[in-house]
Amino acid sequence: MQRRSFIRTLGAGAMLAAGGHVLRGGRVLGPWTRGFEEALAAAQAGTPILLHNNENPLGPGPRALAAMQAKLSERGVPAARYTSLVPDLADAIAGRFGCKPENVLIGCGSTQILRSATLAFTTPARGLVGGSPTYEECGDVARLVGAPIRAVPGTSTLHHDLDALAAAARGAGLVFFDNPANPAATLHPAKAVVAFLETVNRESPDTHILIDEAYHDYVTDPAHETQIPLALRNPRVIVARTFSKAYGMAGLRVGYAFAHPETIKKIRAQQYPQGTNVLGLTGALALITDLERLEQEKQRNTEARQFTIDWFKARGLEPTDSQCNFLFVDVGRPAKEFREGCQKEGIRVGRDFPPFEKSHSRISIGTIEEMRYATQAFARVLGVKAEAAA
Amino acid sequence: MPVSRRMFLGTQTNGAPRAASIAARGHEALAAEYGDGAAQAAAARRADAIRLNSNENPLGPSPAALEAIEGAFAFAGRYPMNARPAMADLRALLAKQHGLEVANVALGAGSGEILHSAVRAFTSGSRGLVAGVPTFESPVRVARAQNVPVAEVPVDAAGRLDLPKMIGASKGAGLVFVCNPNNPTGAVHPADAIRDLVSRIGAASPDSVILIDEAYHEYVTDPDYATAVPLIARHPNVIVSRTMSKLHGMAGLRLGYGLGGMKAIESLARWTMPYNANAPAVAAAVASVQDEAQIERERARNTEVRRFTTAFFRSAGFDITDSQANFVWVNLGRPAKAFRDACAEQGILVGRDFPPFEKTHCRISIGTMDEMKRAVAVFRSVLNLTSSSVSRQ
Repeated sequence: MQRRSFIRTLGAGAMLAAGGHVLRGGRVLGPWTRGFEEALAAAQAGTPILLHNNENPLGPGPRALAAMQAKLSERGVPAARYTSLVPDLADAIAGRFGCKPENVLIGCGSTQILRSATLAFTTPARGLVGGSPTYEECGDVARLVGAPIRAVPGTSTLHHDLDALAAAARGAGLVFFDNPANPAATLHPAKAVVAFLETVNRESPDTHILIDEAYHDYVTDPAHETQIPLALRNPRVIVARTFSKAYGMAGLRVGYAFAHPETIKKIRAQQYPQGTNVLGLTGALALITDLERLEQEKQRNTEARQFTIDWFKARGLEPTDSQCNFLFVDVGRPAKEFREGCQKEGIRVGRDFPPFEKSHSRISIGTIEEMRYATQAFARVLGVKAEAAA
Repeated sequence: MPVSRRMFLGTQTNGAPRAASIAARGHEALAAEYGDGAAQAAAARRADAIRLNSNENPLGPSPAALEAIEGAFAFAGRYPMNARPAMADLRALLAKQHGLEVANVALGAGSGEILHSAVRAFTSGSRGLVAGVPTFESPVRVARAQNVPVAEVPVDAAGRLDLPKMIGASKGAGLVFVCNPNNPTGAVHPADAIRDLVSRIGAASPDSVILIDEAYHEYVTDPDYATAVPLIARHPNVIVSRTMSKLHGMAGLRLGYGLGGMKAIESLARWTMPYNANAPAVAAAVASVQDEAQIERERARNTEVRRFTTAFFRSAGFDITDSQANFVWVNLGRPAKAFRDACAEQGILVGRDFPPFEKTHCRISIGTMDEMKRAVAVFRSVLNLTSSSVSRQ
């Protein structure tokens, strides 16, 4: 079964009606500045509903796409030039966050920054410490360089166990700390994070801590605070951010990080310097100051997330307290079984996250329409009632 | 306030002050750190600059590629493996085009990532890198940063890699880097010489990986040249890198690929970033690598302008290699920097220093015919040439 109940397939005529225009050779350009959602739906018609990679289902939006489109003018010559926009984006990010460009590192997604930081700070003698489960990127690199890995199990509420992490951090090269956490979706309040960082700094002063705030813009819990200000002054702390989540640019590969200039230099020294592309940088420049769009996306996600949480709870299934654009749910069966059932319904949900692969599934939050549709399918796969008991 | 010719060398120019001008010092420092040099970065911001410094295609991507890029905008929010076409579609297409399996293909954010990752994957403190000098510097730079021993083998008088000496230096090496055609000299090695190099290194140092960088492959016109891809079948330690940044006109989009034996590609790919190829670049590459007519048109265009540029320097009495790429390598008998700075003052950007030839040689990329005619006029004035055939501006 494919998505069809709520998405119209648009032909060229409808694209034009939605704001597209005809260019060379009579081809119809996507109406990127108006009617974007219709164009998106047309392009994605017939594809499964993608709830497996924590993407923003609406993409970067018209402002970024229009800026990118301008790079295709003059026969696209700007796309043929090696780009010089990296420093421009570092400037813009520094301006937005009130720091210096020297505090900012740009990467090919925050993925590249996670990898480079692992290369910079772990060795066979000084390992990597992280929660279990957590996002795997740093672990993959630590294995490449032969750095030992200590995975610290979380608490019963699937929060990271900060005391145990701090104890494991003694002598480590790098602690990877995702807040909110992936895949658990749980948040660690600012007070606890600051205390944790102080403990690590005190007990293991040479250890670096990489705080991955990929989902920061989706957090609604008022106890949350970014640790960017701390990263600017504490040479052991790095905060990574991404344009792949709330900014909707996963396909364009731009991430960024904040740290002390000396720390930035160490990470950059490990980094392939030409990983970012002109379209992604252009989109990022258009979006970094667009706080209104960010707020809209947060509200959209919060509403669809609450709908999905409520749906599971009404059926006695308990997701963790999600502060992200995904849920981590005990579906009472192997993730693989649930995933394959959903796939047959035209819906893709998250991969295995050991050691929870026998019970939990990570489900990304799509649009509210997608979640209404998906939950009907979940009901069939899980053998629960589609409508909640009154 | 009028902007003087000199001003752009030291500060930013054109248009309204950028919002980030408060951070201009930081910007310049960053620009320098990213390797542009502040003067180059500032000059490059001039709208009317003629950019002959980075071996780019001056005409941009093909019309089919542009259309594909825009088509991929709908997938900008999706990771590249979820876009249409996806990274896997491009890998499958490249495998088919080259008569290989998908597992023989690795994608990179530019072929630079393939080169960078190859050094990481195949060299160590005890297994070094062998490269020509001058050649594309990236592998040597990465190796030095990792304290990997580097054997640099000078090119011959014609700018060709000294293949016998490179074979000699390969014993026990982790990686041998062969740039063919060679950047910056433009010299190309015939297919039989590369075949011979691969089999001799294979015999003398069977664990060494041979990375053959064919970034300029599509621009070669010498009939004795051929790609090294067919060698992969018998020599699984061969990796051939290609890029979308040169003839395909997508330097800003960051996409390249490596083709090689499955085991070598697997080792290499562990060092590349996951989802490194952005969705628009993947879509553009799928369109562009299949566009034979466009490839032929762009090759012919470059060949004509390259011939014009080569003839100018030859007739002016300068020694110039027989370039097979989209740049020329000229012995100007003066430091590249002096020439570069003088050209930049007149809006022409030419190539960086390539030690140990920085006191004599300059690399000049091939622009459009119109750009090269304007550039040649500037070269005449900078080089103090007199001529009645080209008017001064």
